[in-house]
Amino acid sequence: MRTVESEIGAILTGTISAITQRSIFNRLGPLAARPVSQLSSADRQTVLSELESSVRLFARRNSAELIAASARALGVDGVGGPAAGATAGAAGTAATAGGTTASAKKLPIEQEKDIATARLEAWSEAVRIGLSKFTSVKVATAVSELARNIVFYAGRGTVELRVVRDDKGTSGLQIVATDQGPGIPPAKLEEIWAGTYKSQRGMGKGLVAVKKLVDEFQLDTAAGKGTTVTCLFRGER
Amino acid sequence: MKDQQIPIIQIRNCLLVSIQTELHDRLALDLQESLMDRVRVTDAKGVILDVSAVEIIDSYITRILNDIGKSVRFMGAVCYIVGIRPAVAMTLIEMGVELDSVNTALTLDLALEKLELLQS
Repeated sequence: MRTVESEIGAILTGTISAITQRSIFNRLGPLAARPVSQLSSADRQTVLSELESSVRLFARRNSAELIAASARALGVDGVGGPAAGATAGAAGTAATAGGTTASAKKLPIEQEKDIATARLEAWSEAVRIGLSKFTSVKVATAVSELARNIVFYAGRGTVELRVVRDDKGTSGLQIVATDQGPGIPPAKLEEIWAGTYKSQRGMGKGLVAVKKLVDEFQLDTAAGKGTTVTCLFRGER
Repeated sequence: MKDQQIPIIQIRNCLLVSIQTELHDRLALDLQESLMDRVRVTDAKGVILDVSAVEIIDSYITRILNDIGKSVRFMGAVCYIVGIRPAVAMTLIEMGVELDSVNTALTLDLALEKLELLQS
């Protein structure tokens, strides 16, 4: 029985390294190990739209060919365009009442390997909504810093990626990193912003770095209540 | 998941490490440790880290690279980072993070050239 991983792996091999394939299949979760023949059509769509964003990221030259071949292997027709848009919308956790949030993805951050997953996820989301290559790398780096802070200082938390539209309809990405950790005491916060804080494990520059990277930045923290960082990358036009 | 390891290759008196995967924290620390061992055992004069396949470098990974650079220097060798991607460089500059404990070169070739000049 051919699983999703063996079937798609055969297509990607030669263009995408084994290590990168690993991370692509990790993102598919249990679906990767299921035999293709046993997938429901919704599952097939999910696999395909996940593949689309990762393959576009890693195989710059012939991503279209690879996605088309993957679609054939999965028995899904009509690649990209409306179909991909529809699944992406359905995969998100529904639009909010306000109407500015187009879709959202909440990622649990509990251990070091979640940091890599979060930044990969953020990167492909940024590419998917049309942010430039440079901005997408900035998005991934900011998420990496925020996720790392959660693992180091709070132990666990979440990073939420929200696609937001401005009044001109341009998509941007809002990142909300939340934890219920110890919070940052005011004295330490002062040191952090002054650039004099030095942490044991990192550079102590994570928050400052994120603030410099993003277009909008907001920090809510209280001792004993945890920390929430909300920041925004505006869409480019 | 299996333990990954980044191979360290010796060319004459240089150690070459090509990082072909997203550096996660454990991996980076293991690399630092085994690199130190190899510098001592092989009496290497230079260490070259090729990061051209690394797509994201954040402040923590920067610190690890700086630490590797410092420890290599303490052991009397010279450390070069080669192949930093333009988007990564721009991001590091914007974040105000410095890669100041390592030397940099555009390509592996240029780093080898500079190391050879140092030794002649």
